[in-house]
Parts: sequence; structure tokens; C-alpha cells
Amino acid sequence: MASVVRRASSDSPYLRDESKITGDADEIFVPETEEDVVKTVEEHFSEGRPLTISGMRTGMCGGCVPFGGDVLTTERLNKIIGIGKDSNGYYVRLQPAVTVRELNEVLRKRSYSNLQNITEDAVGDLLNEGTDFFYPVDPTELNSSLGGNIAANSSGPRTLKYGPTRNWVRRIRAVLPDGGIIDVKRGDIKADGRLFRFKTDKRELEVPLPSYEYNMNVKNSTGIMARDGMDIVDLFIGSEGMFGVLTEADLYISKWHPLISNIFFFPDNGSAYSFVKDIQKSGMEPEFIEYFDSGSLDLIRAARKRDPKMNQMPDVPEDAGSAVFMDFPIDGALMRKYMEIGELSEANGGSLENSWCGHELRDRERFFGFRHSVPQTIFEYVAGLKGEDPEIHKMGTDMSVPLDNLDRMMDIYSETLERYGLDHVTFGHIGNGHLHVEIILKDMEDLEKAKNAYRELAVKAIELGGSPSAEHGIGKIKREYIELMYGNKGAEEIRRTKEAIDPKWILCPGNMVER
Amino acid sequence: MRFVVFVKQVPDTSSVGTDENGNLMREGVPSILNPYCEFALDMACRVKGEGDIISVVTMGPPQAESALFRCLELGADEAFLLTDRAFAGADVYATAKTLSAFLKKFIPDHDLLFCGRQAMDGDTAQVPAELASMMGCGQFYYTEDLVFSDGWKAVQNYYDEERECALKKGDLISVSKGETDPRLPSVADYIRASGTEIKKLDRVDIGLGTFSVGLKGSKTRITSSRPVSISRRGILTDGGDPTEAAKHIKGMVR
Repeated sequence: MASVVRRASSDSPYLRDESKITGDADEIFVPETEEDVVKTVEEHFSEGRPLTISGMRTGMCGGCVPFGGDVLTTERLNKIIGIGKDSNGYYVRLQPAVTVRELNEVLRKRSYSNLQNITEDAVGDLLNEGTDFFYPVDPTELNSSLGGNIAANSSGPRTLKYGPTRNWVRRIRAVLPDGGIIDVKRGDIKADGRLFRFKTDKRELEVPLPSYEYNMNVKNSTGIMARDGMDIVDLFIGSEGMFGVLTEADLYISKWHPLISNIFFFPDNGSAYSFVKDIQKSGMEPEFIEYFDSGSLDLIRAARKRDPKMNQMPDVPEDAGSAVFMDFPIDGALMRKYMEIGELSEANGGSLENSWCGHELRDRERFFGFRHSVPQTIFEYVAGLKGEDPEIHKMGTDMSVPLDNLDRMMDIYSETLERYGLDHVTFGHIGNGHLHVEIILKDMEDLEKAKNAYRELAVKAIELGGSPSAEHGIGKIKREYIELMYGNKGAEEIRRTKEAIDPKWILCPGNMVER
Repeated sequence: MRFVVFVKQVPDTSSVGTDENGNLMREGVPSILNPYCEFALDMACRVKGEGDIISVVTMGPPQAESALFRCLELGADEAFLLTDRAFAGADVYATAKTLSAFLKKFIPDHDLLFCGRQAMDGDTAQVPAELASMMGCGQFYYTEDLVFSDGWKAVQNYYDEERECALKKGDLISVSKGETDPRLPSVADYIRASGTEIKKLDRVDIGLGTFSVGLKGSKTRITSSRPVSISRRGILTDGGDPTEAAKHIKGMVR
């Protein structure tokens, strides 16, 4: 079967993502099989015609937004294929357009009847397990495709406990720019120092890696991974589609344990942050720690006034000036933890009464809806502004720093943005030293100021040992941070790696680096 | 005041699908406190004053305990789980019989009884009325609010008219309206609920024999079920001349 091909009209959804930048393309290819992908890629390769890979288009940096050429959408490669097991545990074999939500639904409902045994009796064994399983990387956007998650090495709140997507990938199968297929699991191919030598069904490749030090001490999605002797699977993870079209992957899954979600309210930003520091010192190890400043809570209040159904949550208490969101396992230690949290929250102006908690599945989903409503509200606000001025886009930071430097970085955020006179709200993965500072742009003038402020902040984050793009990737809108982090030399070395795999630069051109 | 709230655990219908035969696919579907029962509990919590006690009761399998835990988190003071293998298969009559026997024996001196309008799974809406009938008390369906002025008054909404009805001690109200977004407990509520024992009672405890409960005590048998779809034709009658219109409708009914 050949790919369905559609013309890309100017209002086609395939020309944009959550970054709200808009591109252009001629045709949209919708392959239904890997053979379709190979055929489409080969045709583009022989013509040297750009082909941008698109998944569910939930990315934040324009990685799937085409600027010329055609689009290949993986949307019909959306099957969960089977279950396997190896010494690391169970894994799920799937096609790239399966979403995080779909995978977790199947695992929760144990609907395995149509799935293949990748290893002997794996489906039956998983069915007979006493506990449920889940895919633990939670990129907050649950409608994102797992292929997209791999391309971006997605992380999220649960990275504090489970690490990013990279830690859960067992195997990948991808169509390279010349149509050759690579099918590798971890351990199959390692770099010799900083050089990969490997074969596809089409040719032998020698791929040099950048010489920079890839920062693994913080959440980091800036640039391709490069380390001595690294695994080739890691080269594809987080490569933003520059090296191949993913057609299959094996992702490990983890045992699920009952959790209780909690949101504690505090009078102001300082008291919540101080509470977070106390929690970190206590050794309590929540599944994640998320922070909402007063501005974030005000945004939610305003959005709920416009649409009371927006997040299925009760109203945020009137006196709440900040909030901290944490999940804990429901186990024998929970009550002891709550007693300690009671003392720590009271010491910081909160209390066990001034909180929400929920352990039923539907409630926990409401908590995540609440968490997701902050960026969502900002997207909607920016989408509204775009109606007035199409040039305006969202400005959200995605910088991580080591925890020891978070104090310093928080001061830098407020000092810098105040100096530029920019309104902003702060929320996010405080437990990882990774806050999202969303700059609220009111006009084009703000946009210019925000660009300068952002660059200043990125420089500071790098100086403090962090990453300017912790989890959203680089795509098209953050390319300058590659040079900021790795210098001109680093950017040049990424180009060299790209060129070795994709000599005609047909796949996702413009992601991370320009030719 | 002693308020008693009768509740039921139901599958979360928002995540239940049906197979090609129209049967509910319950596999992996979480169980929740029936939303109408939560409305009833919310109403009791809203009117609860200093020293008042809210007791919640359910008849169900052991896992129905989690619905009672939810009630404790949301403000109930004590919880009773009526659980016995012999209760299985109870129709509305046997259910009401079991609940009334419990009430007469364990909380005879109650002030008001609260039920949700209907359960999201069975959808019969019969248990509150049968329970009231067995208790010999007044029943007030479609209650949307409860006010205290010169005694308790149920505010009912029958779509075409709203009315306030005076309640007597021991009367039953069936609640049909509540918050769209359910309340969330605080951590303090969770801790309090965790420390409250859920009392389990079987048919011997409440003084009923096997032929009074469950399938054996039921008046109805479900022999088969099938999905039905009803289509309404929606004929409008020209209302220009009321007499003519009435004649027209009468003709159609015939």
C-alpha cells in the first residue's frame, strides 16, 4: 500500500505545533507501513527534497514544523505490536504514533488480547502479574506520540524519580535518509571513542560524534548526545528526527504502585520555595515536586472564571499565593511522612488542612489536568494574541540548573525579567532544578525584550552548570542555544554528524542546526 | 442530629465501553462512589452542625469499602459496610429490605435519611422509595437543596415547578443535584479517614435470613437483557386553535 498524499493548504495543522510558529510545505505523506516510509524517504532522497517528520505535533520548539519540502506524518503507524521480556523486565513494542495516554490505557486495562508475544509467553506472563504496569515517563502532554517522545528525549515531572525517555528505550528501528533500515537494541553498536561504524541494509556508515561534553548532571535536551563509547540507540534518542524516521521502538514499562497526589497551598512564593527546600532536606523522596507561583494560580483563577469546566478542579483557595504539588506512594511510611509534612508546611505558613489530595484514578487525573492547565492557559493566551499579531509567539524558559544553584537562578529570573519590565509566571519541576518561567507577551515590543532577556538567562543557566533547553528540545526556535552551549565548534560538529548520516540534508532540515 | 446517607459503589461510567453485543466492558474500569450519592453526602455535610453525626451505609462486596473511605474523606463521621455473600444478586426490593433492617437495628433514632437519586449502573431510582416505604417515612425525590427555617425543608425541582416541602423527623430525601466538579479532600481529611474504622456487618448481624436477602429475597429476575434504542418522531402540533390541537393529539394517541 502506498502512502496517502494530501496537498498542504496554508491552514493545514501539519504546518504548526505547540510553539505556534507556522511553516510551509507542498505535500503531506501519510504512510501506513514501514515500506511506505521507505518508499517516501527514498524518493525524497533521490530528489534531494526536504521531508519533515510529524507525529502528534505537541512539541514546543517547531521540530515538526516544515520550512519547505514535504511532511511525513507517522499518525497511521499507531499500533501497539506486542510485549516482550528480557533481564531488565517487560517491554512494549510499538509504532511511533502510539500516544503516552494510549499506552497507559492498554496497560491499566490489561487489554493485551491482540498483542504479539515478542518473547515466549510474555503476554500471558504480564497478564498473570499481580500488579499493574505503566510507562513512567510523563511528559505532561499525554497526547504526545511516543515516537515524538523518543525524538525529543522527553521528560517531565516524574523524571525526578524515573529519569527521561532515554532510560526506558530498549530498541529502535528507523528508516535512514537514504531509505536504509537500522534495527538496534542497546548493546548492539557502541561508538569507538567518538566514532560510530555501522551497516544498514543499504550501506556502511562512519559517523563522527561531536567532541563536546554532553551535560548529564541536569535535565538536558540541548544538542545530540555525544559521549565516548556511547550506544547508538542514544544517538537517535533526542536527535529531533535529523537521522531517521522511527518506525518501531521497544519501551520498558515499570510496576505501578498506588499513589496519592497532593497539592499544598502557601501564602506566597517564598514560603512555598522554602517548604520545597525543607522537603528535599528531609529525604522523603516524593515521586516529583512541582511548583506554582502566585502568577500561575492567578492565571488558573482567571481561566476558570471564563470557563468553570476547564480543569474539573475545585476553585483555588482565595488566600493561596503559591502551591506545591507532590505524589507519594501509598505505603506503610505515608502517615509518618504526612506528620512530618504537617510540621514543615506549618513552619512555612501552610497546613495539612489547606491542601488537596486524591488517590482515586479519576482524582489523580484531575490533579494532572490542573498541572497541565497552566501551560495550556498560556498557550491559549498567546493564540489569542496571535490573532492580533501573527508574529507573536510564546516565550517560556525551559532551563535547568543543578539544585545547589537553583536559589541563585531564581533570583536571576526575577531580577532580569523585572529589569526588562516583563510580566512572567513561574511553575514546574522545581525538584529537578528546572522551572518554566513563562514570559507573558503583550505586544511586539515585549517580544523583542523577551528574546534578549531569554538569551541573558540562557547564558546564566549555562554558567551555573545547567542547560538552556532541559526538556523541550531545540527544534527551530531555539537553535541559537546550541552555539551558546557548545560554541561554533559544537554546532559545526553536529552538522558533521548530520552530514554523515544524511548527506543531502533531507530529513527535518533546520532542526538544531541549519545546514 | 443524626443523618444517615445511603451510598453505592459503581463502575466509573465515564470510562466504561460496550462490546459489540452492547454488554458493559468492566475489565480494568475503576469503581467510584456513585456521583448522585456524593451529592447526597455533600448535602448532609453542608447542613451538618456542631455535634451532628453523619453515618454512611452501603451494601456491597468487600471492595465497596473504598467508596465508604471516600465518604469518610469527604466528611462522614462513621461508615457501615453491609457485606455478605448472600447479599449478591439483590434487586431493589431485597436491597431496600436489607438497608431498612440495618437502620431499624443499628440507627433507629435518626433524623434524616439521604439517598442519591439513582445509581449510575442500575439506573432504577427505586431503592430510595422502597426504603422509605419499608421505614414508613416520607419520601422526597428530586431534592436539590435542604434549608432550615422552622424545621427542615426539602427544595424540590419537578422541572415545571419548584417547591419547598416540610420534613418530619426520619423522612428520606433523594438528591438529584450537586457540584459538577466533585470536592477534593485535604490531607487532614485523608488522615482522619484513615484512622476511622469501617464497620462490617453481615446478614446475621442485621438479623435477616438467607431468604430475605440477595437473589433469594428478590421479587424480580432478569432473564435477559438487550440494548434498545428508542427513536422519537417529534411531531409538532399547530397550536393555533387549542381545541383542534387537542383533538389532533387525541387522534394520534389512539
